[in-house]
Amino acid sequence: MSDVLHVEVRRERGSRAARKLRQAGQIPAVLYGHGQEVVPLSLRHEEIEAAVRHRAHLVSLEGGVTESALIQSIQWDTFGVEILHADFYRVTKGEKHEAVVAIMLRGEAPGSKQGGVVQQLLHEVEIMCPVELIPDVFEVSVNELQLHQEFTAGQLKLPEGASLITSADEVVVHCVDAARMAAAAEEPALAEGEVAEPEVIGRKKEETEEEGD
Amino acid sequence: MALMPKRVKHRKSQRRRIKGNATRGNRVVFGDFGLQATQPGWIKAQTIEAGRIAAQQYVRGEGRLYVRVFPHKSITSRPLETRMGKGKGEPEFWVATVKPGTVLYELGGVTEQQARVCFARLAHKMPVRVRFVKRRPAVGA
Repeated sequence: MSDVLHVEVRRERGSRAARKLRQAGQIPAVLYGHGQEVVPLSLRHEEIEAAVRHRAHLVSLEGGVTESALIQSIQWDTFGVEILHADFYRVTKGEKHEAVVAIMLRGEAPGSKQGGVVQQLLHEVEIMCPVELIPDVFEVSVNELQLHQEFTAGQLKLPEGASLITSADEVVVHCVDAARMAAAAEEPALAEGEVAEPEVIGRKKEETEEEGD
Repeated sequence: MALMPKRVKHRKSQRRRIKGNATRGNRVVFGDFGLQATQPGWIKAQTIEAGRIAAQQYVRGEGRLYVRVFPHKSITSRPLETRMGKGKGEPEFWVATVKPGTVLYELGGVTEQQARVCFARLAHKMPVRVRFVKRRPAVGA
């Protein structure tokens, strides 16, 4: 189900106008694609934030323009708190488009009871998919993930007509030995005779010793 | 042992000002939750290590901790009771330069509640103000 966003066509351009717009609780946006004209838009920040929170990809724009569009990109502020700008890409039903879809783990892995740690290595995958079938999120059940087992991107259940752009061999989640992981995290101790100062690039060891004398 | 570079081009660096906000390294990338600096500052290698140990003890056997900052900058100091002059002092310690927005640590494989408790312990050790952040939702094409 696509979210409905009420948009207005933006008349004023530039960073100063965009700042005023944000102060008024609106977000500047832009609609483009299919070789048609680029339309500057504005919309209420609550609506776009809700769409992002729902992980929506396909949205219906209403008001100033009436079209279906993909959320192409979102610009955030430095702290990732506020949305600064949104890009919408015009699409038509049945059209295939690239999309980045999040992967969420569900359930409890039996491997974690055998002394393992479930590690998610891939948090999102890129797919080529008919726009109306782009899933909001891929849910991966780890209820059958044993110790030393892994789940790869190729094992994801894709919608009909969709293909994976991310390599199918990429590991999404695996269950590794906790003891081995803890050992790997430990820092190696400084070997005897090793100097606790970095090597200076381009300076020979003898020169350094001479300087020290 | 505290972190430091293996090889450097110059042993000593000028102090420099920390201006502006972080435009890189300001998103949670590897884990699910992160600790983000909201102030500029230097974080010593020893402090980064202390934070790592504190968090590692908490998440041991459950989640995975990622340290997102590295001390690239050497800080020099003059020996005590030395007269001025005779050149710049010797490197004493190493620091990571942190701008507001920089994600310092990340945690994966733990619940939000556990991550909050873990980062609360870690935040006390940090010389800059920090906040708890989550991974941003994946949108876009």
